[in-house]
Amino acid sequence: MGLKEILEHHIVDHIWSWAVFGPLKLPISKHLLMMAIASVILLVVFPLIIRSKSRALAPFRAMIEIIVLFLRDEVVVPNLGHKGAAYMGYFSTLFFFILLLNLLGLVPYGSTATGNFAVTAGLALTTFALINFAGIKEQGLIGYLSHIVPKGVPGWLYPLLFPIELVGLVTKTFALAIRLFANMIAGHIVILAFISFIFIFGSFGVAVGLLGVAPIAVGLVLFTLLLELFVAFLQAYVFVFLTAIFTGSAMHPH
Amino acid sequence: MEALIRPEFGLTFWTITCFVLLVFVLSKTAWKPLMQAVEERERAIKHDLHSAETARAGAEKLKAELDARMAALKAEIQSRMDEARLAAQKETDLLIEEARRSAGVIVESATREIEAQKAEASRELRAKVAELSVLTAERILVKQLDHRANTDLADKYLAELEKERPDLKLGNN
Repeated sequence: MGLKEILEHHIVDHIWSWAVFGPLKLPISKHLLMMAIASVILLVVFPLIIRSKSRALAPFRAMIEIIVLFLRDEVVVPNLGHKGAAYMGYFSTLFFFILLLNLLGLVPYGSTATGNFAVTAGLALTTFALINFAGIKEQGLIGYLSHIVPKGVPGWLYPLLFPIELVGLVTKTFALAIRLFANMIAGHIVILAFISFIFIFGSFGVAVGLLGVAPIAVGLVLFTLLLELFVAFLQAYVFVFLTAIFTGSAMHPH
Repeated sequence: MEALIRPEFGLTFWTITCFVLLVFVLSKTAWKPLMQAVEERERAIKHDLHSAETARAGAEKLKAELDARMAALKAEIQSRMDEARLAAQKETDLLIEEARRSAGVIVESATREIEAQKAEASRELRAKVAELSVLTAERILVKQLDHRANTDLADKYLAELEKERPDLKLGNN
């Protein structure tokens, strides 16, 4: 079994069967299961923690509260203004959904749904929809379209800049999807490569692999795993933060 | 390897559906109660802060008022004391002046009295001397004795007279 098979086995989605709704052919896969688990946690555990008055759950409530307040005070309101509080539901859900999918990828037998470009593309598309929705709601359709090109640009540049800015809008969200996908997949590939070292060197002799390379490789894997834990939080934050910046600039063009 | 980046866009549909539903459901079930609790607490904190500030401002105002009243009282006490001291000084001056005046009056009246007494005494002395002379001369003339006898007689009579009329005795007054 080569590295190709190993990577594909551990990183690529396993499609178990297909659900067909008319023209729609939808996969039932491991990443969908991960999304379902994350959704169940969000739908059942979060409201339970938030609404419960028990003292035992108070620390968890405080953790959620701190994160949501951080998102409100440091991410959403500074970028979107005070009207941004209405979008808090979107940003909070986005952060915790991405975070849970990232963390589920670190659990044994789990897999990283955010390491699938189809999933991050879906999230980026909703962000794209939100950016345009918020911009049009705030400035009106005509105001939004006329503010796509930055102010102070000479008139003759408009025909050139308008398509560029339009493409830029798409690129920004596309980059959002690629960033999350690449970050989540990279850590896994590095970990698998480190583990493969053991077997590559093991092919020279069992002792070389087991005693020589394995301790170093396992140490590096542990380090990468901790890095991935950090990246799981960081990328969830980055995705939400950039979404807030893009939405804010669509709402307030100056 | 290209399987790593080949997306199965059916999953995109799942993701969008899943995520959008989550946004709507969680907005109602999780974030709304959370934000409500947070906002309530923030309101309570703001209210507490505000009331504490008002209380402090009130206390400060009260203190300033009390200080002002204290200062006014101190000033009044000072002015009253000054007034009292002034009044006492005036009273003392008045009393001393009066005492001096009445002392002067007493001294004056005493002097007048003494003058009167002196005049009276001298007048009385003159009368006594005259009477004595007259009486002595009378006796001398009556006896007609020689000078020595006369003188003796005069002495004798004078002594007699003095014995008889002690009020006419010379050097007694």
